[in-house]
Amino acid sequence: MPKLALRTPYYVLTGGLAVIFLFPLFWAGLRSVSPQAGTAQVHGWGLGNYQTLAHYQSGIWQYVLNSCIVSGLTVVFTLAVSLLGGYAFARFAFPGKNLLFMLTLAILMVPYATLLIPLYVLLDRLGLQNSLVGLSLVLTMFQLPFATFMMRISFEAVPRELEEAALVDGCGTLRALLLVLVRAVQPGLVTVGLFAFLAAWNDFITPLVLISDSSKLPLPVAIANLRAQVMGVIDYGATEAGVVVLALPCIVLFILLQRQYVRGFMSGALKG
Amino acid sequence: MGRQRRHPGGLGRRRRLAGWVYATPTAAFVLLFFVVPLLLVTQMSVSDWGLFNGDQGLNAPHNFTAAVDQDLFWPAVRFTVEYTVVTTAILVGCALGLAMLVQESTRWTGFLRTAVLVPSALGLASASLLFYALYSPGSGPFGQIMQHLGISSGPVEFLGTPGHALWSTVALIVWRYAGFYMLLLLVALQGIPAEVYEAAEVDGAGRWQRFVHITVPLIRPSLALCTILCVTGSLLAFDQFYILTKGGPDNSTLTIVQLIYNAAFAGRDDLGLAAALSIIVLAALLVLNIGQFRWLRGKEN
Amino acid sequence: MIGIRPTRRHRRRPLTVLAAVVALTAAACSSGGGKSNQSVAQGGINGLDDGTTLTLWTRAPLELQANLLVKAYNASHKNQVKLTIVPNDDYVTKVGAAAGSGGLPDLFASDVVYAANWSKAGLWQDITGQISKLPYAASIDKGPIEAGTYNGKEYVLPFVMDLSVMMWNKTLYKEAGLDPNQGPTTLADFVTQAKAIAALHKPGVYGTYFGGNCGGCAVFTWFPMIWASGQNVLNADGTKSLLDSGTAKQVYAAWRDLWTSGAVDPASKDETGATWVGPFQQGDIGVMPYPASLLPTVEKTVDAGVAPIPGVTGGESTFMGGDGIGVSKDSKHEAEAWNFLAWLLSSDAQVNVLAANQSIVSRSDLADNKYAAADPRVVTINKVAASPDSKTPIAVDFQQAFNAAGSPWVTLFRDQVFNGGANLEQDNSAVNSVLSQ
Repeated sequence: MPKLALRTPYYVLTGGLAVIFLFPLFWAGLRSVSPQAGTAQVHGWGLGNYQTLAHYQSGIWQYVLNSCIVSGLTVVFTLAVSLLGGYAFARFAFPGKNLLFMLTLAILMVPYATLLIPLYVLLDRLGLQNSLVGLSLVLTMFQLPFATFMMRISFEAVPRELEEAALVDGCGTLRALLLVLVRAVQPGLVTVGLFAFLAAWNDFITPLVLISDSSKLPLPVAIANLRAQVMGVIDYGATEAGVVVLALPCIVLFILLQRQYVRGFMSGALKG
Repeated sequence: MGRQRRHPGGLGRRRRLAGWVYATPTAAFVLLFFVVPLLLVTQMSVSDWGLFNGDQGLNAPHNFTAAVDQDLFWPAVRFTVEYTVVTTAILVGCALGLAMLVQESTRWTGFLRTAVLVPSALGLASASLLFYALYSPGSGPFGQIMQHLGISSGPVEFLGTPGHALWSTVALIVWRYAGFYMLLLLVALQGIPAEVYEAAEVDGAGRWQRFVHITVPLIRPSLALCTILCVTGSLLAFDQFYILTKGGPDNSTLTIVQLIYNAAFAGRDDLGLAAALSIIVLAALLVLNIGQFRWLRGKEN
Repeated sequence: MIGIRPTRRHRRRPLTVLAAVVALTAAACSSGGGKSNQSVAQGGINGLDDGTTLTLWTRAPLELQANLLVKAYNASHKNQVKLTIVPNDDYVTKVGAAAGSGGLPDLFASDVVYAANWSKAGLWQDITGQISKLPYAASIDKGPIEAGTYNGKEYVLPFVMDLSVMMWNKTLYKEAGLDPNQGPTTLADFVTQAKAIAALHKPGVYGTYFGGNCGGCAVFTWFPMIWASGQNVLNADGTKSLLDSGTAKQVYAAWRDLWTSGAVDPASKDETGATWVGPFQQGDIGVMPYPASLLPTVEKTVDAGVAPIPGVTGGESTFMGGDGIGVSKDSKHEAEAWNFLAWLLSSDAQVNVLAANQSIVSRSDLADNKYAAADPRVVTINKVAASPDSKTPIAVDFQQAFNAAGSPWVTLFRDQVFNGGANLEQDNSAVNSVLSQ
């Protein structure tokens, strides 16, 4: 085959695509340190926009910490609930199974904004309003459709013999799950966990409504505060710096876990 | 989806009980944080319920008639459907194209996959803000680039006309989501055994024929899943329009969820109306998705 | 009248779905009933300073001033204010969610355009009696107070003000042969001067700029042109639009003339408000009505002149914008919250905090303070607020009719400027139908 001749257009095409997909991120990074009127970096290149961010209200680390707590709790809750739920849906027959599964998927179909007011009232009744735990519980709920679906197909892809061997060895179903199956569905767990992390880290409107204490707000709300100035004017420097600060941990984590994340999809029964 | 096999051996009751125990956390979450709020939304939808003054008693079916009678209701429905069709077609098409381009496992395709996937690590709100800056005539790079290249003489109106605003938003969504859908389809593509293609090649099938008669049918379940997810996501589109266009210019990019948001928080302060609209959307999505599932199942059998 | 308040908190955890729903509904239904205003007055005219922690919400654009005020208050009082900043676009969402379940902070600020609606909804406590006892009550800017008055009861005081003024770029004026120390004094002046700048034909430089897709911007900058001509934009109770008056038509015609002659930056047409102050800061715009609060920012890049916004044949006016503040219905520390408000309007806060940091004062008797004296432009800004034609428009549905994205007002002025002045009657009746709801 005349490989190179055939390959050149391919490389040009795919290279161009890579540039298109990466360009906005590089542009935001560049722009956040370049001079721009109406920002904290008016003259010359520098970190003016990041300094504004760093010194915002309680200081950026407080917001990073809050975001880490919320994201961490959401990941833990999501993994725990969907691991058990996925196991139940994949391996057990019980009354109401299909209804519960459909209800879980239906979470995807309700406009987000509508649920927030009832959730606010509900968390208030439970004494969880204005608490990072309450916020994580709500974010977990929004993760459940994807997480449960993903874990269900992950469990379904595990050979039944694996579990049965453990059961024959005298394990209960719980021990079979914890000792044997968890390892088999690990890629699925990574995928679900990463998804939950990204969603919780980036979410903006839920904490905005559910958290009233400045010192408990997560990062995206703080960044949204920096963006808007008087009369609806937007500070592009702060916006771009904010996008970079929000995106960087996600991108790093994503690249680190990419292999397992992809394998999570592969291991599922999604195969055609 | 819903692949069920009967468990061998009749552990029966204990097994059912165990199933329930494992499903309990899911059930608790779904009931407490979804079903209960949803019931309250339902109650709001049949009540005169203001954002600031709360429940003023039942008024059914006033909220529903008021929702449909709004001047902007049908234009919003039309735009949302239009946006959904355009986005779904382009996004699923792009994702399939990308998946086929990066099918082999080489260093280069590995890099490509990462490049396409990285935007999906951003939140939709962050991505929308980023594109808002990109599209801004004052701050964005495109205007200057295009002026340099002589393509355009004045500032480029990315969000200025209804058509531009729609396509600019679709571009953002493709950028943000193409990687995710590409991955779903890539997994499906790699599940097709090589022998199938080889056999087809022996039979003299061309590239296009192989694509139409082998690839597409074999990855149909994944294509359908992508379509369902994309249709549902697009019908509920909010963040991207809230940040990029605010429904403008001249209400041409107002989606149904923006209408809900406006009813509740931007001026009308009417939770009852917002809840009624939400119920209408939920019902439409349920019908649509059940239809899609049925269609999928029907074809499978 | 006043919203939802969970009366019996934490009584019993709901066990079943049904119980939970009933509990939720009960929580949402038991409305609180009006509070008497006795406790606001409990500490007398100065309120109580007894070491209480007060909570205060404001929207992000006022962060700078709010921070300064809170810091100064906390340093000089036993009470401590805890400040929460909320993103601008989401402030109504946040207040709405909290108001519905009794979760409002002790004090919260509001854009003056919401004040009428929120006073009517009973989100603040009546402070009429307390305001009238303030020794300087007569010199407090009337705009925010009137905006926050419902049924004769006053609910808010000015928090941080923002005014619209005419600003021009002195450097460009010199280049165009205009007098850099004399801004427009009539609408015709404005048009002539903007066209003169456009006639320089400098790349990227235009005569003027406006938020062509931003209802709030046009309210803020165009209404004063109508007021300065002695014409109103709304009837007294804010239920009818007078935006089809002859004066209003003259204002639209002036902008249409500027637009068709190419004196307006074409980016104006799609300006949603996100960048409407940017081009002037970059030195690319000759003259435009502009937020006075941005003078310190503008000064970094542009040598700017400041004058009141003129009417068709003269006069001067400004939009008295910014935020009002009141004691929330959910506050249990009313007298302490009043202590903050009384201090806020004192000369200590107005001069030593706001004026010292180049912000606008809300008391006309303090307009000519020691900080303003250093810059005559600041005196101009402070004084225009006292002009009889300076106003805050008041309507319960103001936000929906004017500021909201895609509001009928946006359609109206876009038709007037970009569409050759068509459909005025029809567009104005669309505004009316929202106002008269």
